[in-house]
Amino acid sequence: MKKTQKRITALIFLLIVILLPFITLVSKKENFSELENRVLSKKPEFSLENWFDKSFMNDFESYVSDHFSGREKWITKKIDIELMTGKKEINGVYITDDRLIEKIPEPDNDCIKRSVDTINNFAKSVKTPVYVLIAPTSAGIYSESLGKHAPQLDQKEIISGIYSGFNTNVLPINVYEALYARKDEYIYYRTDHHWTSLGAYNAYNVAIQKMGFIAVAYSEYNIEHANDEFLGTYHSKTLYDKLLPDIIDIYSYTGGNSVVSCEVNNGMETQQYNSIYFRDFLEKKDKYSTYLGSNQPAVTIRTNLESDKKLLVFKDSYANSFIPFLTQHYKEITVLDMRYIANYKDYADPEEYSQILFLYNSTTFCSDDNIKKIMY
Amino acid sequence: MVFSSLTFIYFFLPVVMITYMVASKKLKNLILLVAGLIFYAWGEPVYIWVMLVSSFVDFYAGIYIGRSKKQSSKRVALIISMVVDLGFLFVFKYTGFIVGVINSCFKTNIEPPDLPLPIGISFYTFQSMSYTIDVYLGKVKVQKNFLNYLTYVSLFPQLVAGPIVRYEDVANEIEDRKVNVDNFGEGIGYFIKGLSKKVLLANNIGLLWTQIKAMDYSEISVLTAWLGILAFTFQIYFDFSGYSDMAIGLGKMFGFNFPINFDHPYQSKSISEFWRRWHITLGSWFRIYLYIPLGGNRNGKFKTYRNLAIVWLLTGLWHGASFNFIVWGAFYGILIIIERLGFGDILKKLPLPVSTAYTFLMVVIGWVFFDTDNMSKAFSYLKAMFGGGKLFDSFAVYQLSSYLVIFIMCIFASTDLWRKFTARLSEIKNMKNAYYYVTSAVQIVLLLLCTCYIVDGSYNPFLYFRF
Repeated sequence: MKKTQKRITALIFLLIVILLPFITLVSKKENFSELENRVLSKKPEFSLENWFDKSFMNDFESYVSDHFSGREKWITKKIDIELMTGKKEINGVYITDDRLIEKIPEPDNDCIKRSVDTINNFAKSVKTPVYVLIAPTSAGIYSESLGKHAPQLDQKEIISGIYSGFNTNVLPINVYEALYARKDEYIYYRTDHHWTSLGAYNAYNVAIQKMGFIAVAYSEYNIEHANDEFLGTYHSKTLYDKLLPDIIDIYSYTGGNSVVSCEVNNGMETQQYNSIYFRDFLEKKDKYSTYLGSNQPAVTIRTNLESDKKLLVFKDSYANSFIPFLTQHYKEITVLDMRYIANYKDYADPEEYSQILFLYNSTTFCSDDNIKKIMY
Repeated sequence: MVFSSLTFIYFFLPVVMITYMVASKKLKNLILLVAGLIFYAWGEPVYIWVMLVSSFVDFYAGIYIGRSKKQSSKRVALIISMVVDLGFLFVFKYTGFIVGVINSCFKTNIEPPDLPLPIGISFYTFQSMSYTIDVYLGKVKVQKNFLNYLTYVSLFPQLVAGPIVRYEDVANEIEDRKVNVDNFGEGIGYFIKGLSKKVLLANNIGLLWTQIKAMDYSEISVLTAWLGILAFTFQIYFDFSGYSDMAIGLGKMFGFNFPINFDHPYQSKSISEFWRRWHITLGSWFRIYLYIPLGGNRNGKFKTYRNLAIVWLLTGLWHGASFNFIVWGAFYGILIIIERLGFGDILKKLPLPVSTAYTFLMVVIGWVFFDTDNMSKAFSYLKAMFGGGKLFDSFAVYQLSSYLVIFIMCIFASTDLWRKFTARLSEIKNMKNAYYYVTSAVQIVLLLLCTCYIVDGSYNPFLYFRF
């Protein structure tokens, strides 16, 4: 019997180590992993040169693992086991019953100081009023839902620390309390790092009053659930599949659509669209890009409003779902993403605008070092 | 190539196994040799020449020792082979360290040579040396076939991380060995056990140590410090003994019986016993080829202690070229001399939990020297362990709750409880068959679990995390 046991083990072992590579070998090879958002490795060509510098071996090993049969299923199983053994975070993302929450990275204080100084100097150098909105991420609003001892920084404190660095000619817009008060509503995605349109609306409500307008009431929008299968970046990081997928909502003003044109400049060329929603993305992995398309260097939106107000926005992707609400107030909105721009003056002259808004989420503002390029 | 990679388990191993099985008996050594060279060159494509040269020299030294009649010329051949072997080891492993020491002693500014440490050089050098010394002592027959000799040195299961298989251990099997389904199956059992130790236990608990090791030791709590070093204590044991188990298992799959290398060392009741159970093949290598030739314990107390001191300093240095390893070796030398001086007898009389706890505590302290970056860090870590700061903090509590299950699994797997339990079980008549089926099922499940973890190791989401 002992012999039979060893034979059984031997037989099944052989089956596994022969069949799995065989299936891997004959199965169709994908070039791109949507989930990991990267190009998968190609089969390396053997040469003496890449043998001796070991690049052949490294490429071969990544080829094998990138295309290993059932790759995603193996990984999902592993994460299940990890959570069973008591782990509470995967790849820097906490897993809770309601949502995935980022582990807030340690703020880069030098970078924050450079950005704050830049905005201070910029506000001094232009006549146009400058507003700053630092949005909390879901980690800042829902930190209480983590266990008592889970390491997490206080994002509210980080945001007020940033605000305290601004001079009086920079006008801060604080949306933390407004969002926190609505934490039981669907203001952040469960599986993605962005706020939802509802979250953006609540921030807009505070911001637009500060900027001198009357906010459009929530009841004046028709809300379309454009897609309910959105699995965002936190999902990609953890592959945790026990949460409901997210919903992409599109708000339309009952008084009629004001957008006349949306001009997207990708740094090389400009393209005209007649909507600020890019519904093609609803069918893709990155559904949040439905708002304003994916991040682009410059977007200019024109409306048919009888107004002479023009707004210039420096932003990260949190602005993408926020901008649609502004289209009821401005004749023209120019949206610049400094991560893809060397010299913003190629795109806009600040003096031509009635207002300027910096809109970033706390995590980007604490780590992105591109804002300083404004004052070069 | 590491054993715990997809390339090894799901590509290299099946290809080698199938070729080996279908090949005629004559060709089997050649297949193992080619496999060994590819395996080694996969990680060390350039400095494979060091291994080849040193095998070549040792092989011919063996031939020469066998042929010559005069004792003096035999000795010359032995010395040449040892100088070449130890010379390579010294040059590649220790010059950087020695240049550093000279620079700091004499305020000189000599540029250390830019030499890599060829994979496994400490292991294969000792293996190959065992051959020439034993030929010289007449303990083994001369190997007349270079391919057979090179097959021994480059045997991929144990080539890069032990066990240190002496030529004597496998001299017969190199010439003639049998594989049948039963020892093949037994080998698979060993391999999967080792793989699980490495992938499921060592790698996981190691993540905790990696985090804590990088922290500022003057700010961590006592609990954090203990969690960190205990994590390393289990990491190194399961990493190393897992590798040895995989090697032993692969050996059996190809018909070799390697000596065991670890025997539940954390259950030891004294430091001397610990070293009879930890990295057994290294300890016996030093005993056979250094301690006994130096006179062992036969020339009076003073020389015994001198010999112990030499052996332990060199054991420390063998693990790596830095003061930490020297101190680590010296630490064990001192503990063992203290036991020889009479503390060992006291330990024997103490209740089992006390002597086991003493031994384990000393071993854990030893690991602080072993794995911190330098001596001053080692001491500040010890300070954190023994009441430098707060007793515990949120970080420690969080990590404890995250790793508790893995810690419990590690503790359990360090003991021989499972072995005792199954031995009992297999004696009960009605349970026997059930036990065997369960064993097979557990082994296969473990293989699949390990695969999950290995595949996940390559999961590399590249997100535009620039929101």
